[in-house]
Amino acid sequence: MHTTGLAEIVRPRDLAEAVRLAAEGGEPLAGGTDLFVRLRKGVERPPFLVYIGDLPELRRISVGESKVEIGAAATHAEILASPAAARLPILRLALEAIASPAIRAMGTLGGNLANASPAGDGLIPLYLLGARVNLVGPDGERALAVEEFVLGPGKTALRPGEVIRSLDLPFPEGAPRAYFRKVGRRRALIIAIASLGALLWLRDGTIERARLALGSVAPTVVRPREVEQALVGRPLAPDALADLVEALSAATRPISDLRASAGYRRTVAGRLLLDLACTISPGG
Amino acid sequence: MAVSVAAKARDVVGQNVHKVDGPALVCGKPLFTLDMDVPGALVGKILHSPHAHAMIEAIDTSAAEAIPGVACILHFGNVPRIPHTTAGQGWPEPSPYDTVLFDRKVRYVGDRVAAVAATSEEAADEALRKIRVEYKVLPAVLSVDEALAPGAPVIHDEPDAEGIYDAQRNIAAAVDIPVGDVDRALAESPVTAEATCEIPYLQHTPIEPHCVIAYFDEDGRLVIRTSTQVPFHVRRIVARVLALPMSRIRVVKPRIGGGFGAKQEIILEPVAGALALRTGRPVRIAYTREEEFVASRTRHPMRVTVKLGAGRDGTLRAIDMEALSNTGAYGTHSLTVLSNVGSKTLPLYNKARHLRFHGKAVYTNLPVAGAYRGYGATQGYFALEVAMDILAEKLGLDPLELRQRNHIRVGETSPIFEKIGEGREGKAQIVRSCALPECLRIGAERIGWKRNRGRRRREGPWAYGVGMACAMQGSGITGIDMGAATIVMNEDGSFRLLVGATDLGTGSDTVLAQIAAEALGVSVDKVLVYSSDTDFTPFDVGAYASSTTYVSGLAVLKAAEDVRRQILDVAAAALEEAPEDLELSQGAVRSVRSGRAVTLADVGHRATYVVDQHQIAATASCVAPESPPPFAAFFCEVAVDTETGLVRVERFVAVADCGVAIHPKQAEGQLEGAVVQGIGHALYEEMLFSGRGRCVNPSFFDYKIPSALDVPEVEAILVPSEEPTGPFGAKSIAEVGINGPLPAISNAIYDAVGIRLTRAPFTPERVLSALRSRTG
Ligand SMILES: Cc1cc2nc3c(=O)[nH]c(=O)nc-3n(C[C@H](O)[C@H](O)[C@H](O)COP(=O)(O)OP(=O)(O)OC[C@H]3O[C@@H](n4cnc5c(N)ncnc54)[C@H](O)[C@@H]3O)c2cc1C
Repeated sequence: MHTTGLAEIVRPRDLAEAVRLAAEGGEPLAGGTDLFVRLRKGVERPPFLVYIGDLPELRRISVGESKVEIGAAATHAEILASPAAARLPILRLALEAIASPAIRAMGTLGGNLANASPAGDGLIPLYLLGARVNLVGPDGERALAVEEFVLGPGKTALRPGEVIRSLDLPFPEGAPRAYFRKVGRRRALIIAIASLGALLWLRDGTIERARLALGSVAPTVVRPREVEQALVGRPLAPDALADLVEALSAATRPISDLRASAGYRRTVAGRLLLDLACTISPGG
Repeated sequence: MAVSVAAKARDVVGQNVHKVDGPALVCGKPLFTLDMDVPGALVGKILHSPHAHAMIEAIDTSAAEAIPGVACILHFGNVPRIPHTTAGQGWPEPSPYDTVLFDRKVRYVGDRVAAVAATSEEAADEALRKIRVEYKVLPAVLSVDEALAPGAPVIHDEPDAEGIYDAQRNIAAAVDIPVGDVDRALAESPVTAEATCEIPYLQHTPIEPHCVIAYFDEDGRLVIRTSTQVPFHVRRIVARVLALPMSRIRVVKPRIGGGFGAKQEIILEPVAGALALRTGRPVRIAYTREEEFVASRTRHPMRVTVKLGAGRDGTLRAIDMEALSNTGAYGTHSLTVLSNVGSKTLPLYNKARHLRFHGKAVYTNLPVAGAYRGYGATQGYFALEVAMDILAEKLGLDPLELRQRNHIRVGETSPIFEKIGEGREGKAQIVRSCALPECLRIGAERIGWKRNRGRRRREGPWAYGVGMACAMQGSGITGIDMGAATIVMNEDGSFRLLVGATDLGTGSDTVLAQIAAEALGVSVDKVLVYSSDTDFTPFDVGAYASSTTYVSGLAVLKAAEDVRRQILDVAAAALEEAPEDLELSQGAVRSVRSGRAVTLADVGHRATYVVDQHQIAATASCVAPESPPPFAAFFCEVAVDTETGLVRVERFVAVADCGVAIHPKQAEGQLEGAVVQGIGHALYEEMLFSGRGRCVNPSFFDYKIPSALDVPEVEAILVPSEEPTGPFGAKSIAEVGINGPLPAISNAIYDAVGIRLTRAPFTPERVLSALRSRTG
């Protein structure tokens, strides 16, 4: 009888074998920072695990002309140390906010995405940049927009046997300013109560274009497109944005849990807009 | 950092010597309780109640017993019922006898229903699942207010409990101690202030949870190797609960991974002992983190109201302090923690002539509260120091100055010392050492008090403010706490120091070795410390009440002085000189008259083998003669995000007077660690409960303590004083530091944004809601 202990871990030789093993029912294992927590709680019992964390095909980070491609099994620490993070400040800001150095050394962006938590910090830049998710499965390859890939808390469009190969993060046009802030009780190792990420295109202190993404306040990360629209043409100053706080709050569908009440989440999500206005100085 | 004063030149005391257990700990040697593998040990596990309040109608263990490998299952039906307290305290025990090993009634979610011993974890786990228990669920009492309401369910209705203040009204303990006429003095005071502050359920979160191995020695005596702060109290209470002669029990305390008071409790030892006795086999039990939260001990949640009355010049006239303490399902430490809320706080402001301390400790169907670093003082200071801040504002006085005008000084006393003791009267005492004025001055300077206070500095949504608080504690329990030490000289001139004192990670073995080494004129590496084993070390009450350096340290000093006399006698004979002319230092005895010398190795050899052979050795005891308070001043700067309510501690300065710091680095570590734990209380920590009394966040995932990345810049500064009654001038430092952060941070938030946070922790949600209700 075997009631405790973890499932067997299988190491595929290459991506093709990983896909075959996944199709046989094996659950992909990357850094294990989400998966082992779930397994220990006993909420799921996969027959075996397929360790994809050291497949070279999944670890590559390449900076191209128009985009960065990040292998699904690249760790947060590797991404932060790569030129990709330097080229995409919003990616850097979000990944730096994940957990702690130890967890960032193990956890991967692919795992963060597949876990599909609305509190996943790494998802915010994916939504803001309009990332595409490259998948490989028993029936070949396909690609989905991140918003099509994430369906709900812990729910994705992954089909049985499918594995995330990489993520395409297109460079935004021009030089938008990046903002990321998550609210939690303490600094380290905290799951966000609410978070806001933003890309703002400014000219002479006025917002020309804006993209916003909210975390932890709805079943998935949310792009409040009406607020993004409403920001256009406004000066970047707390006073000029104050009337949009309510609208941003209204874009949320939060829950109450141990970390915070729904009401607090809704309020704070909106107010983060003012923090954004204070944090990004229109000039420099 | 230590402020240097012209201290007496000493060779060992005051030096940052290597921790005596440091190398072994750093090398990961098998030092902790469960590092020892006892062959054939069974795994013990405990079945906890899923109900907050219920009667067990029937228990059926047949299916569980049929599982291969299950050796024994204990429950109320097959274990004698012996009322006792789990509090590891002195004698007579001040806590009520309201606990039995297994009861027919369960009183909180997590209460002990049964215990299993099996050959494997898996078998034990399966047995827990297969024990069938029929409960009759009773209405549960989930707050102190419900517990005190007329007609509330009675939690302790068992007839054999002893020492409960008023079981019918769910009151475990109560105190009411008036000095003077506080009501009148308050009414007549031109300026008054009031604060009510509340602390929730908090857990100690030692890195090593409670764990124990019970086995038998060659003579069939029960050996209990356990992670405890109180090995001798473990022996006494286990003997009572298992009805064994004390001489049949040996308790061994190895290295301990922290306790903070949670291990001043006898929780797992009698269970492991009972399982071992029943099966005749060794048994080990270790709590999981979840069990540590729910079924070990917590701080007493408390609501404390302080009313202050003062003259217009800021001199305090009256302090009324009322505490409503939640002791949870059992009354362990209920009376003494409650008493300490007043006894460790009120003497600080001894200018007030009219005092009253009154309160109740109330049973609820929630986890069991017990001893926790600060021991009630933490709860008391939160309310007292917030009230002082309010009073200062009403007086238009700098809060720093208000403290300076009112705090106790050298040569002064407070009637409270005599009025409130450990659940009975205390002992009058005079403060003989107090560097609080210096602590206040230095702390104010380090934080930039004059420059930063009342500025309401803003940077975007962030508002900055500074706050302060003072505190004192004690050093042991006067006339009750006894520690003893034995020093034996080896023939090579080294020494064995045997102490019952309990190093639980605090570094007390090192401190006690330093005291012995200083008195014996040797370096610390010549003193081999052994603590604590009830078979081999003399009695000591254990590590609590900030007693070890002071009480056990005095015992070590006495024993060392005795041994020193014996050494001088042997040396005098060897040198043919008078002992009065001899001096012991740096490993040798030298004649001040002739300059001739013998080494300690010569003395040891001579006494062992040559003439008048005898063992040079001494045992000495010390009962705390007084309880000299250590003092501390706390200053901090916070930043409050007015958009989200998030509070960040930017800087924290803690300045303490612990007398002479025997080991300054360790003393600073105690101060810093206590401050960080206090910051956790102020900003992060809170056990939460479902509507049915189940703790819903019993893990580090959901219950956050400060981690390395969260800790702000903490400056721990020691300002020495010389405590005349202490060993080499020392007082305590272990607890005082935890009393400051709650009020200092609350007061700093007020300075930053003008709102008073009186319910801990100050979460972003609470802060924001206070900010919003103020702006309307
Ligand atoms: C203490 C702690 C703190 C944390 N703090 C944060 C935080 O602050 N912010 C945050 O966003 N997250 C946090 N996390 C969650 C976690 O670290 C991240 O989500 C991490 O990125 C997950 O990556 P991983 O490689 O460890 O995933 P794994 O645990 O290996 O996998 C997670 C899930 O994704 C699947 N999966 C992984 N890779 C693939 C793939 N290539 N294709 C298909 N499926 C795949 C797995 O099968 C599994 O179901 C924290 C976790 C812990 C334990």
